[in-house]
Amino acid sequence: MTKTKTFVRNTFSEYYQKQSFSIQPPTQIEKREFGFLTLKEKVMIRHKSFKNAGGLTTFIQTLVPSDIYYSSAYYEKPEEKMEEKSWLGADLIFDIDADHIPTSCTKIHDTWVCTNCGTAGKGVLPEKCPACGEQRFDEKTWPCEVCLESAKVETIKLKDMLTRDFGFSPTEMRVSFSGHRGYHLHIENKEVQTLDSMARKEIVDYILGLGLETSFHGLRKEKGNRKSHVLVGPTLNDTGWSGRIARGTYEFLHTATPEELEKIGLKKKVVETLTQHKETLEEKWKEKGPWGVVKNVGVENWRKIAQCGVLMQSAKIDTVVTTDIHRLIRLANTLHGKTGLKKMEVPITEIEQFDPLKSAIAVKEGTVTVLVSDAPEFRLGDQTYGPYKNKQVELPTATALLLLCKGRAEVKEE
Amino acid sequence: MSERIHARAVQRIEEALLNALVSTQSRNDEIEIPSFPVAVMMVASTTDTFMKRRYALAEAKRIYNLLKKENDKNKILRIANAFNWKTKLVNDKPPYEFALSLIDYLRNSTRLQAIEWKLVNRVVDNGEVYLTKDDTARLLEEEVRSHIEKKLDWKEKFELPQNVAARIERLKQAFSKQKAKIQSEELPKEVVISAFPPCIKQMYNETGAGHHLSHIGRFALTSFLINTGMTTENVINLYRSLSDFKESLTRYQVEHIAGGRGSGTRYTPPRCSTLRTHGVCTNMDDICKSIHHPLKYYRRKLRTMKTKTPIERTQK
Repeated sequence: MTKTKTFVRNTFSEYYQKQSFSIQPPTQIEKREFGFLTLKEKVMIRHKSFKNAGGLTTFIQTLVPSDIYYSSAYYEKPEEKMEEKSWLGADLIFDIDADHIPTSCTKIHDTWVCTNCGTAGKGVLPEKCPACGEQRFDEKTWPCEVCLESAKVETIKLKDMLTRDFGFSPTEMRVSFSGHRGYHLHIENKEVQTLDSMARKEIVDYILGLGLETSFHGLRKEKGNRKSHVLVGPTLNDTGWSGRIARGTYEFLHTATPEELEKIGLKKKVVETLTQHKETLEEKWKEKGPWGVVKNVGVENWRKIAQCGVLMQSAKIDTVVTTDIHRLIRLANTLHGKTGLKKMEVPITEIEQFDPLKSAIAVKEGTVTVLVSDAPEFRLGDQTYGPYKNKQVELPTATALLLLCKGRAEVKEE
Repeated sequence: MSERIHARAVQRIEEALLNALVSTQSRNDEIEIPSFPVAVMMVASTTDTFMKRRYALAEAKRIYNLLKKENDKNKILRIANAFNWKTKLVNDKPPYEFALSLIDYLRNSTRLQAIEWKLVNRVVDNGEVYLTKDDTARLLEEEVRSHIEKKLDWKEKFELPQNVAARIERLKQAFSKQKAKIQSEELPKEVVISAFPPCIKQMYNETGAGHHLSHIGRFALTSFLINTGMTTENVINLYRSLSDFKESLTRYQVEHIAGGRGSGTRYTPPRCSTLRTHGVCTNMDDICKSIHHPLKYYRRKLRTMKTKTPIERTQK
């Protein structure tokens, strides 16, 4: 093992040995499948099961895995092969990852290299390599503050929909920082457990606003007096998606530039009308909304605008995680192999003030000297570090661990 | 008396098989009511899942037609409660008359294809979905259908009196002609790539060119190809051009999807709405708008291609 790997292993091991590490076993631990990614070979060990938290802790302390997962599902025989496990139900889980969210940092801290031709770049991963068209990349990501903040904003939107629309109580929901670039939200409740994959897909589409037709939320032409038609639409205080469409439309029209309005397919004349009457339109939200207030802007145009509002109000969850009823998900209080930070539960009422780069620090003592190849300026705890380029520095263990796990630094070989 | 019950039971099944709807007879409860369990027993005794499904559907349709005309909302409420639905009447949200718990709504609505049934197109508030009377009737139809299907799913063998068994046998035979008509026609032996739906065609071309697919994309493509009759060998070969191709792993996965391993079930591709959720759906065309499943697209496209001359077909 290299010095770096040995150091990471020792630090992980120490964390799992220390009393400060308190395992948070999932409910009904005996019905869950566990999976472990090994530190050295990066191999997944699956189909493990434990009768109690003690057995699990001992296993972790012996193996010292890089990542620890458990199944959102409950099984009669969790240690059997997939087909023979006997599925009993699964918690409803959501994953929000900065990877899926367009952010203002434009992911400039991420780098990629095409595995085929070696072309490299910075920022959001391209769909295809601009040089050879291949779609396979080696990626180096970074959990930056902007990314983490936008993931948090999405999580709050999600929480809001789950509470207000779906009626889940805060006591059934658990929110955690994933330890890397996002948040997880678990719902444990007997009724939800039995939902099949199709039902969960409908929940996903709801959260994403996918397949939403504004006509079902009141945006339509109605017969007015005499022969004329009037355009009506949802208002700010409506329940469910209707109100969200209204609030999103308000937000979109309030912030959009004329260029952005043209970009969504509105004609120049329509954009001019909207810009000219911006104030009047905003005033109208106090009553029945801006729908049909100005000529030139017909129902089809309003639909396009409202769809942008839908996009702003939707929460960008990972579609696969929620619909997969056999999903393995990171165990709370365990370390993330890509950062050395821990998955950390956030009290649902405190999420807005939560600082993941402070609270999720798992190792609080010691320093180590590392050779940093490349790192942007970043904060961990109250301290700001970097930027570093091929530099030898002595850092607090948690900071060094983050760089080592991210492959941005090495422990100096003597 | 028992002869008349028996006759009505047979009629129920006949109506289901031929018209896909059990008729509503003039009120003669003494015959009408017992004829239902008798019919259920008769259908349950067959091992024909297609027949069972069709019977359950036809009985459920009958219920829907009755509920649609029912003016007493409380009666509908009581029926819903009999199925343990968490539901209540609402008076202050016209045109809605019922509020149903989210879970009960999802349990009964996901099979309905029209976009108006998508949860995202519903008024959802504090764990309840608002419904009109007709919506409620339609969802109850689904509940009744799955309720009857469960009754029909009889695992143990049982014997019926010989004359009854003979009547069922006759029904089955009369139905087999009908069934052939209903069940989709056989697919051609060779795989017709030009009849692939746009999403599959794109993934097929990209994989052939060595590009990688998402997990769900790979599953959709593989299961689609297997179901159109491509051999596992040819499917495996398709993935050979990928830079990280591992024969043993690919073989395991393809054979698993084809039903050669594990549970032995052959997987079908996800339906269109699922592909949309995961961003696999691309370049929708006119046929896409009228179907809900990629295999349905394939069948329909094949049919339209048949009506064209061979020259037109090769040009496509």
